[in-house]
Amino acid sequence: MTPRIGQSRERLAQLMSTPVRRKYFETLLRMLGPSGLVSIREEQFFLVLAIAIGILAGFCVVLFRIAIAEARLWLLGSSMHPSAPRVVLVPAAMGLVIAVLAVRFFPRVRGSGVNQTKGALYIYDGYISAETVVGKFVLSALAIGSGQSLGPEDPALQIGAGVASALGRWLKLSKERLRLVTPVGAAAGLAAAFNAPITAVLFVTEEVIGRWSAGILGAVVLSAISSVVVERWFMGDEPLFRVPLYHLDHAGELVAYAVLGVVGGVASLVFVKVIKHLRPRLRSLPQWSQYVQPGVAGLLIGIIAIWYPQVMGAGYEWMDLAMHNRFPWELLGIIAGLKLVSTALSFATGTPGGLFAPVVFMGAMLGAAVAMAEQMLFPAFAVPVGAYALVGMGALFAGVLRAPMTSVFMILEVSGNYSIILPVILCNTISYVISRGFQPVPLFDLLSRQDGLDLPSLEEERGQTALLVEDAMHPSKVRALRGDETIRSAREVVAGGGEEAFLVSLGEGRWSVLGREALADPATDDGLAVRVLVRARVPRLYQDQSLEVALRFIKDRPMLPVVHRDNLDLLMGVVSVEDILGAYRRAGLPEPETTESS
Amino acid sequence: MEAGGKHGTGMSKETANCAVCGQSLGEDGRCRRCDGNSHVWTIQDWRPLLTLGLVIVLGFSFTRLVVNGFDAKRKVLAGQYYGAGLGAMTAGHPAEAVDDFETALLYSRDNFQYRLKLTDALLASGATGEALSQLHAFREQRPADAQVNLKLARLEAQRQHVDEALHYYQNATEGVWPEGSDPVAQRIGVRLEEAEYLVRLGRQEQAEERLMALAAALPASSPEQGRLGDLFLRNGDPGRALSAYQAELKLERDSDAAILGAAQASFAAGSYATARRYLVELRTETPESHALLEQIERMEALDPFARSATGTVRTERTMAAFRIAVDRLAGCGVPFAQALSRGEKIVSAAGPAQWSEFAKWAEQLSPMMSERRLRGRDDVIESTMRFVFQAEMAAQKDCGKPALNDEALLLLARERLGAN
Repeated sequence: MTPRIGQSRERLAQLMSTPVRRKYFETLLRMLGPSGLVSIREEQFFLVLAIAIGILAGFCVVLFRIAIAEARLWLLGSSMHPSAPRVVLVPAAMGLVIAVLAVRFFPRVRGSGVNQTKGALYIYDGYISAETVVGKFVLSALAIGSGQSLGPEDPALQIGAGVASALGRWLKLSKERLRLVTPVGAAAGLAAAFNAPITAVLFVTEEVIGRWSAGILGAVVLSAISSVVVERWFMGDEPLFRVPLYHLDHAGELVAYAVLGVVGGVASLVFVKVIKHLRPRLRSLPQWSQYVQPGVAGLLIGIIAIWYPQVMGAGYEWMDLAMHNRFPWELLGIIAGLKLVSTALSFATGTPGGLFAPVVFMGAMLGAAVAMAEQMLFPAFAVPVGAYALVGMGALFAGVLRAPMTSVFMILEVSGNYSIILPVILCNTISYVISRGFQPVPLFDLLSRQDGLDLPSLEEERGQTALLVEDAMHPSKVRALRGDETIRSAREVVAGGGEEAFLVSLGEGRWSVLGREALADPATDDGLAVRVLVRARVPRLYQDQSLEVALRFIKDRPMLPVVHRDNLDLLMGVVSVEDILGAYRRAGLPEPETTESS
Repeated sequence: MEAGGKHGTGMSKETANCAVCGQSLGEDGRCRRCDGNSHVWTIQDWRPLLTLGLVIVLGFSFTRLVVNGFDAKRKVLAGQYYGAGLGAMTAGHPAEAVDDFETALLYSRDNFQYRLKLTDALLASGATGEALSQLHAFREQRPADAQVNLKLARLEAQRQHVDEALHYYQNATEGVWPEGSDPVAQRIGVRLEEAEYLVRLGRQEQAEERLMALAAALPASSPEQGRLGDLFLRNGDPGRALSAYQAELKLERDSDAAILGAAQASFAAGSYATARRYLVELRTETPESHALLEQIERMEALDPFARSATGTVRTERTMAAFRIAVDRLAGCGVPFAQALSRGEKIVSAAGPAQWSEFAKWAEQLSPMMSERRLRGRDDVIESTMRFVFQAEMAAQKDCGKPALNDEALLLLARERLGAN
């Protein structure tokens, strides 16, 4: 390939005879690099690749959504109220088919796509098999289309991650980049499924990557944006829900919203506890039962759906109706409760599909129910049902999935309505606090531990006490030496002490460490400045930095200076390895849990 | 394409420059500008990138194909359910129509027409709250949409929220109508509807204001002139009503509705002869026109001041009117009138004080009520008819609904005295 490109370049050079043409040609040559080939750093290429991943994941998610809709039409018919025999038989029969396919051919499609993506990132070096992606696509479409109470977002996330993984392997990315490519694809998949790029970026950062990393953020953002562009290109750019603009007329309204926060928190807690207890019990049943469990779940859901068809599938169409006063509050409450049961059944039996849509469904129903109940109790009080339903979605999302920032932005993005932010923040916080207070381990961590995996969790990191440099540092017994003072003066300063090393301030925030031996060397002229003895500089620390940073910098140095941020030559204290270890010992931090205790 | 290993790979050792940024490398062989741990990608083989581009193009084409097919299917389904919804509405089953329209919207979520029909069905099925919520949501999206504002106005009017209704009527008047419709005609329709709402509410001044503005804006050739006439008439402005009806009659000479309207307007304006002329022109008699004509004939039969009336007729009519007025008062329990009806002597001091003046007046007039005594006595005829008119007007206030003859006398009183 290279010689041919070279020949072409020579031929081109001959063609570029005029000065103007030559100028452009020379620019092109510079761009092509010294060896005549494009040379870019991998992280730059990674950003370009992120766009390609976003586009491909966008295609996949669009096709996935159509597959779900087609499956629904094929299996349940076009009406919003399918006939009773169909409602009972289809989810049960398809449950059996899905179980056989899942157990025999696609064993990795069961369970949470979020955790599997996280597992790919932390355990399998970014590897998600093609058969998992295909299985997730087909089986999730069949499951959701046949009325199992699950949503498309979680599978979309894993499909996106799978596409990214396949692309990364095909392009022979380095191991480090291959590992990082899965969250990039996951963000693209989720963004396209929710039509919400910010939500996807935040969720992937909070739940999949588990930490804020500048190195990958750019790629995640680019992939999310490109996939949403693709999704909107094909499916339109209307927000998922349309509700009238909300106006907070009086601060007292927030009290009414707080009630919803409490209801949402309790409902989240109940849902997580049900999943927590039901899933391991069903998994502990004999192996043959794995073939029938999704079918039984489908049958039960079908029976419920004879009277309450709202529990079937993702249920977005019903959420829209609930936001527009379509159902009385009692019915909304019943639907929310039955959806909880149906979703727990579908998910705990290992039917492929996600929890996002059912969770926001429950939130919408509860929100609308609370609004209508408040309206009934206080008729003079104007209660916007649509706004409550939206806020309810956020409350459940924050409580169940425990991604508080994502939950706020999700509501803003799916409604295109910024005016609702205050109630959303309030309710989400209340719901999050209640859920966290009574269920310390978040749902996704719980699921991964039930699957025998222990994946890092940002949620748990939030709960951990971060030790700072100020917790370990101590004042220096000897004043810091100055680089411009004489060695003689320095020897006088350190004389009599037992320290083996001393800090030297070189001015302008530069510091070094000098050993007693070097300072006391009689061969050195004591009239010279201390600076001449300095071999290398050492990094400085600040009191508010974490001890992890200090540990990373200290290496084999005897100590590091802790300085004032406002005056980099002002020594506040010193830190040594012993100080750092001592601080960790004193803090007595709990050891990380490996299993969830009931 | 391949990864070129650690930073510095791909550089020339003689020059010791970084392959990425061209900077001189440090002693450790690392670039000071770039991160030392970065991989360098040298694209020596374009095939993977070309393949990736091809995959994207193919993916786009395939997705487009699938989406087009799916959209077409959805469109058909949406149309089917929409049609079923319209059918259900026509058949008077709004609840079924709601289900159908909702399903239609499932397949064509952004179809504005479907959503508007859904709100109609919701309103028809009594789900006012949801209809209102839907309409408010639409209004957020399309604040200037005239159809949405008009529906909101109707809904608020139904809920007796007058200010809100008028606000939305105003917005609908100034709003944007869909392409293909005649916006001028639509706006006139909205203004007429708003005026009608005000007339119904009895807000006469506001209604008059709107109607006059409409009369000025409405072209003489507009088919809505008749409706404008109706509204003027209902709002108590028969003069302008007659003008509007006449304008419509210029357009459609044989319009029975316009002729009847003109007759009613003329009648209300006190031009009974004109009213009779219009009523005679009617091709098809209606109970309304018949009653009006009868009333005019009754008035004529009781009017002693008619030019065509001879002396005998005048006296007969005066006596008849006096009798009717006395009977009206007697029926109302006025003692002197009861006595007079029975042919007894009037005791003017008896009964409530308000009737004592009438009793004295009647005491003077009653002996004159004969053809012989009235003949040539225009002053007595005049006085008798004044008594009749005032007695009828007083009875109208205190004695309930008048009979047809009493009504005729009241109308004559209005014509003669200019009183209501």
